[in-house]
Amino acid sequence: MGDAYCSDCKRQTEVVFDHSAGDTVCSECGLVLESHSIDETSEWRTFANESADNDPVRVGGPTNPLLADGGLSTVIAKPNGASGEFLSSSLGRWQNRGSNPDRGLILAFKTIATMSDRLGLVATIKDRANEIYKRVEDQKSSRGRNQDALLAACLYIACRQEDKPRTVKEICSVANGATKKEIGRAKEYIVKQLGLETGQSVEMGTIHAGDFMRRFCSNLGMNNQAVKAAQEAVQKSEEFDIRRSPISIAAAVIYIITQLSEEKKPSLKDISGATGVAEGTIRNSYKDLYPHVLKIIPSWFAKEEDLKNLCSP
Amino acid sequence: MAARRNNPSGIVPTIQNIVSTVDLDCVLDLKHIALHSRNSEFFPKRFSAVIMRIKDPKTTALIFASGKMVCTGAKTEAQSKLAARKFARIIQKLGFPAKFRDFRIQNIVASCDVQFTIRLEKFACTSHGAFSTYEPELFPGLIYRMKQPKLVLLIFVSGKVVITGAKKRDDFYTAFDNIYSVLAEFKK
Repeated sequence: MGDAYCSDCKRQTEVVFDHSAGDTVCSECGLVLESHSIDETSEWRTFANESADNDPVRVGGPTNPLLADGGLSTVIAKPNGASGEFLSSSLGRWQNRGSNPDRGLILAFKTIATMSDRLGLVATIKDRANEIYKRVEDQKSSRGRNQDALLAACLYIACRQEDKPRTVKEICSVANGATKKEIGRAKEYIVKQLGLETGQSVEMGTIHAGDFMRRFCSNLGMNNQAVKAAQEAVQKSEEFDIRRSPISIAAAVIYIITQLSEEKKPSLKDISGATGVAEGTIRNSYKDLYPHVLKIIPSWFAKEEDLKNLCSP
Repeated sequence: MAARRNNPSGIVPTIQNIVSTVDLDCVLDLKHIALHSRNSEFFPKRFSAVIMRIKDPKTTALIFASGKMVCTGAKTEAQSKLAARKFARIIQKLGFPAKFRDFRIQNIVASCDVQFTIRLEKFACTSHGAFSTYEPELFPGLIYRMKQPKLVLLIFVSGKVVITGAKKRDDFYTAFDNIYSVLAEFKK
């Protein structure tokens, strides 16, 4: 039911849409304005509990512009019951044996996907890591490198570029076999390669303790007040001259905040596990932070006497 | 040697190490050298060169079978040349026709202190970010790769700067002058 211009009546008339024949008919004079219109509603219904064997979907997965042919996945199937016939079964074999230029890429993408799954990263970061890996692979000089470290470094750089940095230790924990040093070296290598390719395009900000605060705090199950206080404390601590890695400062600040709160206090071991910082390092960072603790901890969170009660390192 | 630099701060980098190479121009029998000299070590399975040390100037030389020699540890260019000559003399005394060809200084390492603490994160974010690498998780210092002259500076929060990769003394004087004016902006 609608209004359209009928060429016979020469004016806007009410038009009826006949679904059975796909015709658009003028209701005044009966002229068929359009026929054989294509029905765009869904052809069949898909239920969640139905088996996937009989899925009548004719399209494959989304195209991947990073792969050579867009990821077209058409294969020659083996016909049912006719495997005696020479031609059809060997065609399938020949297709699979032919050089698949993307095999290494597909394997690498799969590894990156596994790693980012383990870390719980969004698809944006995973796609960016894939893209970085493809750009590095295009320059053939990365043959002899440790593949695991290279992939881990791609993921690390992708996280950084999306402003959601992960510590190298976190990446280490999901990368099988790559050490912190290897990932660091691979990262320098990738940055250099990308710089060579596109002239200084790699933009990565320095890490700050505040970037990791949210995550570490939620790993330890701190309440919202504590988390807010910790984030403010870390912001303020950047003013002071504390010569420690930002992760160690973050861990020490969390230690101070949890010592000040009344709730269940995580031990040094728990904080060490959540942040990846060694217990001794947290203690040393605490020593460095202690002189400034009055100025760092926000006053709405803890009063002076609580701060005085803090154990002296 | 050039006289004092006209750097407004008056700070001069001090050389810590000089690496130089020289060609003795004759094939050497490393086992013979190792057996007939007191101050050398030779472990062919570990490294295929004789490591020889002399006390004055306090330097170490790596002597290869092809006749090429690397001399490290000297604190001035003249000392490096003198030490290389002393090593060549030792080789001569051991019976090899050693000459002194192509003495070349390959690398000079110098260090200095700008006397104020530096904000490295800010430095890496500015227009100099293209040349800097600052990764506090990996290394506490900022690695600055200067293009002109082509050398590398390691800049630390404490204000200490290490300059390496220079082939001439003037190179790192120039480099330090360049970097000092920039660093002063990022004083903490």
